Amino acid sequence: MSLLAFRDVDSFYGRAQVLHGVSFEIGEQERVAILGRNGVGKTTIVNSFLGIATVRRGEVEMAGARTRRFRHFTAARSGIAVVPQGRRIVPTLTVRENLLLGASVSRAGAWSIERVFGLFPILRERADTPGTALSGGQQQMLAIGRALMANPRLLVLDEPSEGLAPVIVDELAEIFRRLAAEGTGILLIEQNFGLVRRVADRYYVLSKGAIIETGALAGLSVETLKKHVAV
Amino acid sequence: MLINILNGLVYGGLLYILAVGLVLIFGLRRVVNFAHGSLFMVGGYVAFAVAAYGGFWLALVVSVAVLAVLGVVLDRLVFRPLQHEDPIATVLVTFGLLLVLEDVVKTIWGKDFLSMPTPTALAGTVTIAGEIFPVYRLMVILVAVLVAAGLTLWLRASRIGLYVRASSVDPVTTGMQGVDTDRVSAVVVAIGAGLAGLSGTIAAPLMALSPSMGSFILIDSFIVVVVGGLGSFSGAFLAALLIGQVHNFGVVYIPWASSMIPFLLMVGVLIWRPTGFAGGRA
Ligand SMILES: Nc1ncnc2c1ncn2[C@@H]1O[C@H](COP(=O)(O)OP(=O)(O)OP(=O)(O)O)[C@@H](O)[C@H]1O
Ligand SMILES: [Mg+2]
Repeated sequence: MSLLAFRDVDSFYGRAQVLHGVSFEIGEQERVAILGRNGVGKTTIVNSFLGIATVRRGEVEMAGARTRRFRHFTAARSGIAVVPQGRRIVPTLTVRENLLLGASVSRAGAWSIERVFGLFPILRERADTPGTALSGGQQQMLAIGRALMANPRLLVLDEPSEGLAPVIVDELAEIFRRLAAEGTGILLIEQNFGLVRRVADRYYVLSKGAIIETGALAGLSVETLKKHVAV
Repeated sequence: MLINILNGLVYGGLLYILAVGLVLIFGLRRVVNFAHGSLFMVGGYVAFAVAAYGGFWLALVVSVAVLAVLGVVLDRLVFRPLQHEDPIATVLVTFGLLLVLEDVVKTIWGKDFLSMPTPTALAGTVTIAGEIFPVYRLMVILVAVLVAAGLTLWLRASRIGLYVRASSVDPVTTGMQGVDTDRVSAVVVAIGAGLAGLSGTIAAPLMALSPSMGSFILIDSFIVVVVGGLGSFSGAFLAALLIGQVHNFGVVYIPWASSMIPFLLMVGVLIWRPTGFAGGRA
């Protein structure tokens, strides 16, 4: 069963078409990356199953169920948790409350607020401060923690390394590998090829709203990857 | 003096219960509900009708329940479909609703003033610092305090309260976490409308019922919401206390200007602090 599959999907914002016949698939426990330059439509893939962009053609499958009409909550209720680009921490909620928000549709599983605090001790220390009072890296941890609170089968990460220092990116890479090893599927949308190499097994390249290439990452150097994406 | 302050609290309490409903609805639906005063008025009339058969307490329960249901209908038929439209569309529709509700009430009960008796259990008076004050009015103050405490607790400590706070700031992110924000909004509009019913019911024995009774108090509650800082619950509480006092002192000491004073106060506060008491949380 696919955790998430797009089949020939066209997506729009109003009348502006952004995705053109996009197809990809992520099975259970897979780690897949989507690469592509700025503005090619990577976030629009996420927005399509979050009900932010409109899917007009093709078909999306989430956790085995086919859907065309998406509400914002549809993905979360199918076990897909998104760590959105820009993190989207709710500014008026504390760190703890932001985490609890993530548990609104929690499935049975190992993740609890205690375990998230164990993974990111800084969040425990700052549990009662407003979420947006954290530094960028800490906010990214909060966004990841919030997604884990749902005990997702698939974790979708939209440019998690954006704006973060290399040491923090290393730390995140380690955490994503651990999550994957525990059986959580991972869809990593990134422009940081180093991070992609360490986390994913397979990749798709998106260019101008269409998938132009796909393959396995094993054996590919960062330089080769860069060339694939630069076309 | 003390009696004046207490009377100011009574009016402030009624204002708060109305204004907090406006704040709740604005927070979730980004709608200024011009029909809110009419919901207050309908609440008064429903209570009047039920009280004639079942007494005040049954009237209170029925009125709140009827208005809450009306709130759900209003959310489903007006606020939700119009949520992504130009706000002016919603304003016009709620304004139209105001006219319709007034006409419905006029058709059923007529234009004449009606008066609802004070419930017998609260009909007495107490002596406070040597002056006589009706027990019923004390109860109105108490109800407002209980509403404030109850809402605060609900918003701070309950799960749905968390969703309400989150969706009023960022409905998309809240939805992405799996929360059905339209359901949350329906609950919130039901509570806001139910509170308007509550306010109308407890106001009914204090003021004569008329189809236009909602207009004046609606304007004052808008002033409360603006002075408190659009979208702020604690701001609305403080502002309601203040406007209640100002209104009452105006009525007692400078009656010819009493209806202008809250406006002047609003203008003053906005000059001093353009975002209202709660500042910047809009
Ligand atoms: N909400 C929106 N409404 C209208 N157009 C949008 C919206 N979001 C993105 N777009 C447009 O869709 C196109 C693809 O944007 P998208 O955000 O999907 O790109 P991206 O690959 O995620 O870019 P980045 O790497 O900068 O995050 C862009 O031309 C963008 O301007
Ligand atoms: Mg993007």
